[in-house]
Amino acid sequence: MPKSRRFFNAQNKRELLLPLLFIAPALAVLLSLSIYPLIYSITIGLQQEAASGARWTLENFARMATDGFFLTAMAHTFVYAIAALSCEFLLGLGLALLLNKQIRGRGLFRASLLVPMMLPTVVVGVVWRLMLNPNFGAVNGTLKQFGINTESLTWTASPRLAMLSVIAVDVWQWTPFAFLVLLAGLQAIPQEPYEAALIDGSSRWQTFVHVTLPLLKPSILIVLLLRTMDLLRVFDQIFILTEGGPGFATETISLYIYRTAFRFFDFGYAAAMSFVLLALTNVISALYIRFLQPQQATEVTK
Amino acid sequence: MRLTTLLILVLLVSLSCITSQTPRKQLTLAVVSGVEGDSLKQAARDYESQTQTHIDVVEFPYTNLFEKELIDLKARTGAYDLIMLDDPWFPRFASEQFLTDLSPLLQKRGQSGPDPDFVGASLALCRYPYQTGPFYALPYVGNSQLFFYRKDLFEKYSLNAPATWNDVLAAAKTIQEKETAGANGAKTYGYVMRAAQGNAAVADFMPIFWAFAGEMFDASGKPTVNSPEGIAALQFMIELGKYSPPGYASFNADDVGAHLLQGTAAMSINWPAWISAFDNPSKSKVIGKMEFTTLPRAQKPGQAEIGNWLIAIPRDSHNAELAMDFLLWATSAEQMKRSAERGNPPTRKSLFQDAQLLAKYPAYPAQLRSLESSRPRPRTPQWNEIENAFGIFLSKANSGVLSPAEAMNQANAEIEKILQRAK
Repeated sequence: MPKSRRFFNAQNKRELLLPLLFIAPALAVLLSLSIYPLIYSITIGLQQEAASGARWTLENFARMATDGFFLTAMAHTFVYAIAALSCEFLLGLGLALLLNKQIRGRGLFRASLLVPMMLPTVVVGVVWRLMLNPNFGAVNGTLKQFGINTESLTWTASPRLAMLSVIAVDVWQWTPFAFLVLLAGLQAIPQEPYEAALIDGSSRWQTFVHVTLPLLKPSILIVLLLRTMDLLRVFDQIFILTEGGPGFATETISLYIYRTAFRFFDFGYAAAMSFVLLALTNVISALYIRFLQPQQATEVTK
Repeated sequence: MRLTTLLILVLLVSLSCITSQTPRKQLTLAVVSGVEGDSLKQAARDYESQTQTHIDVVEFPYTNLFEKELIDLKARTGAYDLIMLDDPWFPRFASEQFLTDLSPLLQKRGQSGPDPDFVGASLALCRYPYQTGPFYALPYVGNSQLFFYRKDLFEKYSLNAPATWNDVLAAAKTIQEKETAGANGAKTYGYVMRAAQGNAAVADFMPIFWAFAGEMFDASGKPTVNSPEGIAALQFMIELGKYSPPGYASFNADDVGAHLLQGTAAMSINWPAWISAFDNPSKSKVIGKMEFTTLPRAQKPGQAEIGNWLIAIPRDSHNAELAMDFLLWATSAEQMKRSAERGNPPTRKSLFQDAQLLAKYPAYPAQLRSLESSRPRPRTPQWNEIENAFGIFLSKANSGVLSPAEAMNQANAEIEKILQRAK
């Protein structure tokens, strides 16, 4: 029946046209603001400028393997991310468990815990930079009051303490985030499983490990995923606190990429490094989702 | 992202060109924010009222100016008719032929070259190749490093004015020992330097390096920072660092300034822009106690690092003739005197000797001596990258992570790699 088929086709087209029209603006924005730059950055990463114009090459990627600055910056990024994430997660979990109970002044505690997270990162960086100043800063000033010799406590200026200092500042700022998400997760857990555990005579530790943690998995996933992505691309606090120094002690990959692109104007190499960072972040995120996604949820979506 | 923004910008600029078909002559000027750029901005306003030229001034902070200018020059948009540039950027811009050769424009105006009143060291910066090539810019602000020291403390302990680096070390030791009260009490450090990676460490090291007969490159252009002289210079810097406040391996200019203004350090290498702050009662605890002189010597005479602001005309400017008129006007003795009154060291000898200015800036004789004997950072298009790498190793050595020899060997290898890549 050619006639009816044509009819259906025309109707199909009309039905398709309207949704397409609605999607078009969003699609255009997505294409121009995120897909195009992504493809563009990969192409410049794969090109090398020469006198006769750009040529295709893998040189930028090969250079990373022998670039001591790149490898050290990568190592710093992972040390920074792992240390900060562990502290933030454990502290956040501890605080969430504490403040999930009915204690006096709970509201006040909760509100004041959120203050660091609400401050812009740049402000946090500047405030801590001043507080950690070895000669005029509040931290050493306070320690001096207690008669502690602060001569060797140069914090962000010391090659041994600088990394610790920048990690501490991140923990100070972002533990509240872990706390907030985990607290919300804890409060969403129904009472019944706990009652059942109580009747079965489980100890508090057993209840925590076998009831609380599994039911908290979705919140844990959110905290780990978002914080990891943030920590791997950390830039602003470190840029303000140490600018990657002293020497190279706190240079992370984002700082190095920034320098390569905007100080040395080597956009190709910077794009290649950004791409590697993006790939690593993706792999890690995928692993998290694979191991922490609750079983039921995956089945439902299937 | 950048390209999209750029496209939108270009679109906007071209749109505004179409819509504003005014008969008036127009120039666009890129300046740095801060006192150096403010003064040129003010000059542009004066020029507007005197002539029929309309001048748009685009202002960027120091850290962004370089990238904005380079993007514009590379894309050949001709958006700017005049750009202010810091002299270490000049080789990069000139080597890629981004700038207009000023000689034909000067000849057209009956001048064989720039006014001989300009300080030779400043003019040399404006030529590519250095000192010998054609002129691609004119010098506007004549900064060069000075040696700052506390006159009162030197008199108190009857020390001679610091003429050699060994004098400096001995004086630092004396002052620090005598001016310390208890382990946690008030203290005046003998010296304060900045050894944060990058520009800071390199700027404070170069005068020592040069005085110790170190050279960054040999005659054939190979890096030689790990020569025995270079290692000895770094050794000396670390020795002097023992009399610098703890944490100096991460100091920048503001930390050094704070120590000097608070009176907690007795000597340093610094830039003339800081001089006026010492007489400001709301900032300074050492009013009238600071003395400024040329840099100390060692095996070789002391030489300051030069840091001039230049003005150039991009090759793709559509108004080169008009831009040249403004450039000559803004760098004339009369206009530069106004800039000097606003706080910028001039680049003309006659102004350093001007009676009115001398009364206001008593350090001018020392500044002129320092400027005339100054030395530029090595003239290479890769300077930003080299300075960054060199600064990292200097900072590492100063924070005790590497020995001077290790630091210089690694720096040398890294500089060699950078030069290799550029080939």
